[in-house]
Amino acid sequence: MSRPEDPKTEPQSGATTHFGFSQVPVQEKQRRVASVFSSVASKYDLMNDLMSFGVHRLWKRFVIDLAGVRAGEKVLDVAGGTGDLTREFAKAVGPKGLSILSDINAAMLGEGRNRLADAGLVTVPAVQANAEKLPFADDTFDLITIGFGLRNVTDKDAALRSMTRCLKPGGRLMVLEFSKPVLEPLAKVYDQYSFKLLPLMGKLVANDADSYRYLAESIRMHPDQATLKGMMENAGLSRVQVYNLTGGIVAVHRGFKLD
Amino acid sequence: MDKRLLEILVCPVSQAPLVYRPEHNELWCRASRLAYPVRDGVPVMLEEEARALSEAEAEQLK
Repeated sequence: MSRPEDPKTEPQSGATTHFGFSQVPVQEKQRRVASVFSSVASKYDLMNDLMSFGVHRLWKRFVIDLAGVRAGEKVLDVAGGTGDLTREFAKAVGPKGLSILSDINAAMLGEGRNRLADAGLVTVPAVQANAEKLPFADDTFDLITIGFGLRNVTDKDAALRSMTRCLKPGGRLMVLEFSKPVLEPLAKVYDQYSFKLLPLMGKLVANDADSYRYLAESIRMHPDQATLKGMMENAGLSRVQVYNLTGGIVAVHRGFKLD
Repeated sequence: MDKRLLEILVCPVSQAPLVYRPEHNELWCRASRLAYPVRDGVPVMLEEEARALSEAEAEQLK
């Protein structure tokens, strides 16, 4: 198959990357992202509801509908956090299929497993894993999703290559992530909201303004629709389509591994 | 350890298959000589959380 050669993107020591708007050493980012998510894990769902006025549930519903998971399929949810996608996929794949929850963060994974148990899904496997170095065999999954996770990954290209490697030929990757509003007036309102209101809500609800400031900043640093599409194509995915939701505040990218 | 999960898990470093060692509750990789812990039923497949296998342990995998 024609998978692009892995370029040597291994960061040199001394190199920096963005952590929200700050520059931090590459080796630091993973640790600092981990600390943000360990800090917000128990209130993550509540905050998502407040932050998006409940709309994040519709965004996830769109992904679930577009995914069209069938009985017997193997599905992996990367950075699956509190398990919203994994739960629906587990129901859709049925007893002959497989739906796996993975996250790099133990606290988030713990929350996710509790939620799955609440829904009566105690046999759904959970795996602690780094999206850049997934611990799964080549050509394993019919579908891989990453919902609101890619922007927290240090080396996004490595993560896209790793996820593509784990897809079966014909399998699809779906990325749900904050993106760039397509209308200027919406972009302005959205800026005010995310840099003023969001950290304030984080402080009031989770007593953690800094973590939510990071979330707002990381959203702005994330590649826009066209850039992410190009990155997915570079990772070896084909027929990449972009679906803007809520005026492009969020976008779903779907690409296929053809060979 | 979920059997169907074990079938598709590989070492994130070597991408080689793993052997589950119930007495240690770990997943061992012969190629990278790393042992990954299984905590509360969750395989922790992170290089930085893995332990290096001793010579004697690596011998057992041959």
